[in-house]
Amino acid sequence: MAKLVGVFASSHAPLIIRGWKDVSPSRQQELTRSFTELGRRIKAARPDVLIEISPDHWVNFFIDNLPSICVGMGEIHDGPAEPWMKDCPYKTIAGHPKLANHILQTAIELDFEPSVSHHLTLDHGFCIPLWRGGLGPLPPIVPIIFNDLEPPYPSVRRCMQWGTMLADAVRTYPEDIRVAVLATGGLSHSIGEPTMGEIDEPFDHECIRHFEKGDERPLIEFLNERLPTIGNGAAEIRNWVAAHGAAGKRGFELIGYCNCPEVYVGCGFASWNLASV
Amino acid sequence: MRDYWLSKLFFDLQRSAPLGEEYRGSRKKILDRYPLKPEVRAALERDDVAFLAARVNPYLLRFYFVVTGMSEAEFLSKVRTAGADAAARSSHG
Repeated sequence: MAKLVGVFASSHAPLIIRGWKDVSPSRQQELTRSFTELGRRIKAARPDVLIEISPDHWVNFFIDNLPSICVGMGEIHDGPAEPWMKDCPYKTIAGHPKLANHILQTAIELDFEPSVSHHLTLDHGFCIPLWRGGLGPLPPIVPIIFNDLEPPYPSVRRCMQWGTMLADAVRTYPEDIRVAVLATGGLSHSIGEPTMGEIDEPFDHECIRHFEKGDERPLIEFLNERLPTIGNGAAEIRNWVAAHGAAGKRGFELIGYCNCPEVYVGCGFASWNLASV
Repeated sequence: MRDYWLSKLFFDLQRSAPLGEEYRGSRKKILDRYPLKPEVRAALERDDVAFLAARVNPYLLRFYFVVTGMSEAEFLSKVRTAGADAAARSSHG
């Protein structure tokens, strides 16, 4: 049977690539340290497959057909299409159709209604953490897109349930493989809104404290109350919630946090505590 | 509410570097391909961030003005002013 060997989260601010030269040297150092440590931990977990949860930044989907949650089950995914991601080494990324299909079947069995794609383009949200984490050759990836960009978003509670379901799917996958989960996005930021550029550092720290403690209900209540009151980018914390559910809600270890005004994002990096690895 | 064709224009522009280049060369030529409402088209022609912000997803709005070449400082100033104006209108009932 497959084994869940690691659950991680990382921010993915575009300006980490597009505007890196404008980031102060001390914050460059801090972000580099966090990405490097994230990459080290993912590599140390030796995943045969990586389930990656990220939003779609208007690359695959549009408002004529906007899935709430979409599982990528293709054999191959395209690398990022953004012109400023042209130096990203991942032009194509192998998928893992068998695990993706098992996740789909598990989801349907447990009354989830995932959308499906047989060929996704994995944008900066997926690729910046992999690239800056220095993962080198990638394991096959099962991408899962959460709609964190255009309301209505999936509820925080549902994202938690998705994470729990993903852990079930990994546990019941019949092949003896190692599987890790990486959620990307967040923490607080605001894009294209009147509050653009505002980072709510007190919110970020409170959010981190909830994830560290692990308790499901206070975390959900906190996010339900606060997410509607801060910048739109924080909606991506839903992906972290799914990771939290996948990890069994045992709390996480913060790898790093950097309030980085040059990239408009309160950047967070984390690794969850698993029962036994 | 979202304006569909305005959103579609922004979506198409941010997905295609050649289309973005074409747009910077001749807005009229590209805008003619989309059945935009006259007031929406006029807002595009005068870079009316506040008008457009009320009708598209904020990320698409941001991507669009990156494609047009508007400086970051100018976009930030305009989008923040748009928010202040909306708040002022709201406070006046």
